[in-house]
Amino acid sequence: MPDLTITIGGEAGQGVQTIGEVLSRILIRNGFYVFSIQDYHSRIRGGHNSVQVRFSDQPIQAIGTDMDLLVCLNPETQEIHQPALKKDGIMIGTISSTPSPSLPSSMISIHFNEMAKELGNRIFANIIAVGALIEILGIDEKIAELYLEENFQKKGKDIIRLNKEALALGQNEIRRHQISRKFLDKRNGSQNPGNLFIVGGNEALGLGAILAGCTFYSAYPMTPSTGVMNFISSRSKKYGIIVEQAEDEIAAINMAIGASYAGAKAMTATSGGGFCLMAEGLGLAAMTETPIVILDGMRPGPSTGLPTRTSQGDLEFVLSASHDEFPRFVFAPRDPQDAIDTMIRAFNLSDYFQVPVIILSDQYLADSNWTFSQIKVNEQPKNTQTVIGDQNYQRYALTESGISPRALPGMSDALVIADSDEHDEIGHLTEDLELRVQMHQKRMKKIEKMREKTRPPFYKAGKTATIVGWGSTYGVLYEAREKLAKSGVDVGLLHFNDIYPLSKDILTFIKSVPQPVVVEGNYQGQLARLLERETQTPFDCRINRYDGRPFFVNELVNQIREVLS
Amino acid sequence: MSPFRNQIEIAWCPGCGNFNLLTDLSEALSELGLKPSQVVLVSGIGQAAKAPHYIQANVFNGLHGRSIPVAFGIQAVNPELTVIAESGDGCMYGEGGNHLIHAIRRNPNITVIVHDNQVYGLTKGQASPTSETDFVSKTQPLGTVSESFHPIALAISQDVSFVARGFTGDKEGLKSIFKQAIQWKGFSLVDVLQPCVTFNRINTFGWYRDRVYPLPEEYDPEDQVSAFKKSLEWGDKIPLGVIYRHVKSVFSDRIFEKLGRKDFLNPTSNYQTVFEDEKPGFE
Ligand SMILES: Cc1ncc(C[n+]2csc(CCOP(=O)(O)OP(=O)(O)O)c2C)c(N)n1
Ligand code: SF4
Ligand SMILES: [Mg+2]
Repeated sequence: MPDLTITIGGEAGQGVQTIGEVLSRILIRNGFYVFSIQDYHSRIRGGHNSVQVRFSDQPIQAIGTDMDLLVCLNPETQEIHQPALKKDGIMIGTISSTPSPSLPSSMISIHFNEMAKELGNRIFANIIAVGALIEILGIDEKIAELYLEENFQKKGKDIIRLNKEALALGQNEIRRHQISRKFLDKRNGSQNPGNLFIVGGNEALGLGAILAGCTFYSAYPMTPSTGVMNFISSRSKKYGIIVEQAEDEIAAINMAIGASYAGAKAMTATSGGGFCLMAEGLGLAAMTETPIVILDGMRPGPSTGLPTRTSQGDLEFVLSASHDEFPRFVFAPRDPQDAIDTMIRAFNLSDYFQVPVIILSDQYLADSNWTFSQIKVNEQPKNTQTVIGDQNYQRYALTESGISPRALPGMSDALVIADSDEHDEIGHLTEDLELRVQMHQKRMKKIEKMREKTRPPFYKAGKTATIVGWGSTYGVLYEAREKLAKSGVDVGLLHFNDIYPLSKDILTFIKSVPQPVVVEGNYQGQLARLLERETQTPFDCRINRYDGRPFFVNELVNQIREVLS
Repeated sequence: MSPFRNQIEIAWCPGCGNFNLLTDLSEALSELGLKPSQVVLVSGIGQAAKAPHYIQANVFNGLHGRSIPVAFGIQAVNPELTVIAESGDGCMYGEGGNHLIHAIRRNPNITVIVHDNQVYGLTKGQASPTSETDFVSKTQPLGTVSESFHPIALAISQDVSFVARGFTGDKEGLKSIFKQAIQWKGFSLVDVLQPCVTFNRINTFGWYRDRVYPLPEEYDPEDQVSAFKKSLEWGDKIPLGVIYRHVKSVFSDRIFEKLGRKDFLNPTSNYQTVFEDEKPGFE
């Protein structure tokens, strides 16, 4: 089966993303599964950008390691990425003439910009590059042309014609050369063209929020969560959603809490640094029992850390952020499809239990694109659960479940009194310590019912060992497991998306999985420590990465072999 | 007694300026013909921030400094509600100062009432942003070093929609200001001189009484430059009344223009429709 990896590198603004995007769309239309990620591999220097596109005719859910094709839009690309190019790989674009011992067998120097000028505009350089790529790969150019027609439909016939010429120009340029390697043995992938979908993590999170019924989104921009804000903003008119850029994250979470108190489904999103500022607001939502969904797109820290890199370092923080104790859900979606469903569940559960729900994403999930043969809405968004109260309404009525019926201000004669101080059943502040105990128990006991709503982890049994992970690493761990299994190492996979609270039933089961190896994007093994605490069993075989890069299948396979030997 | 007053036991020191403020505000609310269930009082933390508990209305008593963003969120999704954020000078000008500035820019239809006692009451007497320089407290035994903050001048410099100063020793004036501010369409800031009889021995009832005077009839509150000049008047003479107002489009009207919706309590579209609409974009 073909499994090819292409990297496109260049300066910011040179169209690296556009080439990746257009190529990906053409590939899925040819029936290939694509996985792409921005800017993952390079030691960043002055504005260097790269996109990696991996594709195959079988489903894939992780990035590749070694490159088959390298497109250089500037000289730096060669310097930075050439070491990862396979021996039989091909490099095209702006190539330095200095020969080096590791030069690939095929190098084709093409000046995309110069060629584009012949067509009258530098802007065509991107499509020329795409033309060159499809020619090298040998994929169906008819479908590429159709895509260009669709994509530039609004821009008019002339633009379509010029883009098609650009595509042909790129193809012709390659035809003048002898390509030593045949990349694909057939022109199309195995899926029926037209049946594949490319979805990015941030888009999926944004879409999930809209589907869930979110009508108020307040946030302060922070990478890598800003893409969610952009997605929802671009649809705010269509679906009637307020997207407010707050003055800071403190305002953002307090605004969302206000909107939710009034009855709207509200959320905020940030990264770890902004989440730090939200900590007191998180407690406010908990104390006032106001539903709220908070997205934390993780990046390495502490402090500003590595703004454009990935991490799984915030788990322990979000589990215990804000002072004293209160119930919360913590979910970490595994891929864009799961992100859509998780968002809907987050809004439903936050509303039902009147507790905050924290969703952990990360730069890897946020900025990567997955291909699916289907995208679905597997969860049903629910309406806000509210009651019409009367004059005797009590916002914090003590109930068996700990959940008090929720009325909204202005909807009836009921007065809705919410307080960040410890309060009585009506909502007025109190210093009655017996009442304090009752109220604290009322809030805390929701956890037991919440446990019943959390999903068990994904589990595939293996005899020798079990890879354990959480969140966005699912795809990488899944492929690593398959590779190991194929090479005769029978390992299993235990993967968490619902992280807190863990359901009681699974705690017993988790204890019994063979030789767990916990793989996490942090130093201390934060999931491992949570599992140790919850199960009273050691999870001390760990693989940790905290260099800001995601896990790679091949590297991980070797690491797992090592720890097991 | 106003239908906006309740029976909750009040936890303020006898003689505190907050009592008058509470009475005047609840009377203003009933005289405006509002129903308690239409009104939401949002507060932070402090002595002043307890006030909403003594008023018969919807209440959101949130965090120290954060009443304005909560009030904004409530009003943004349900503009039908009368939303008032009420808290102390420390809460509004210190901890939450940034929110004040940006609320002026957003111009939501909310009223912000600041119980300005020029001190931190609840935490027992530290200097606040509006305390005068050299104000002595247990925490500032040598006197504060910083100069004091001028909320009204700041608000006018940012072209606030409505700003006024009241005094808890001037019942009719204060009530009238409250009524105008609550009825005002747009962001209105009311700074209320509220003597703290326990921790502020300088800015007492007497101190204020000797200095305050009502703005004369002929004063034009619509001229930003002269209003700014007026706002700088502090010390021997302190003007009371509506110092500046400017009719502007409010947040929810601008949102209506852009999004075609007034309230945001429910999603506009069924999720299946949304999904069918969005799905082709991913192909
Ligand atoms: C985040 C946070 N910091 C500090 C406090 C402690 N605190 C409560 S009220 C207050 C100051 C109160 O002063 P002011 O807002 O002027 O209200 P007053 O009591 O004078 O009416 C402080 C510092 C707190 N509750 N929360
Ligand atoms: S401490 Fe000051 S502000 Fe607080 S209740 Fe007493 S007198 Fe009033
Ligand atoms: Mg004060």
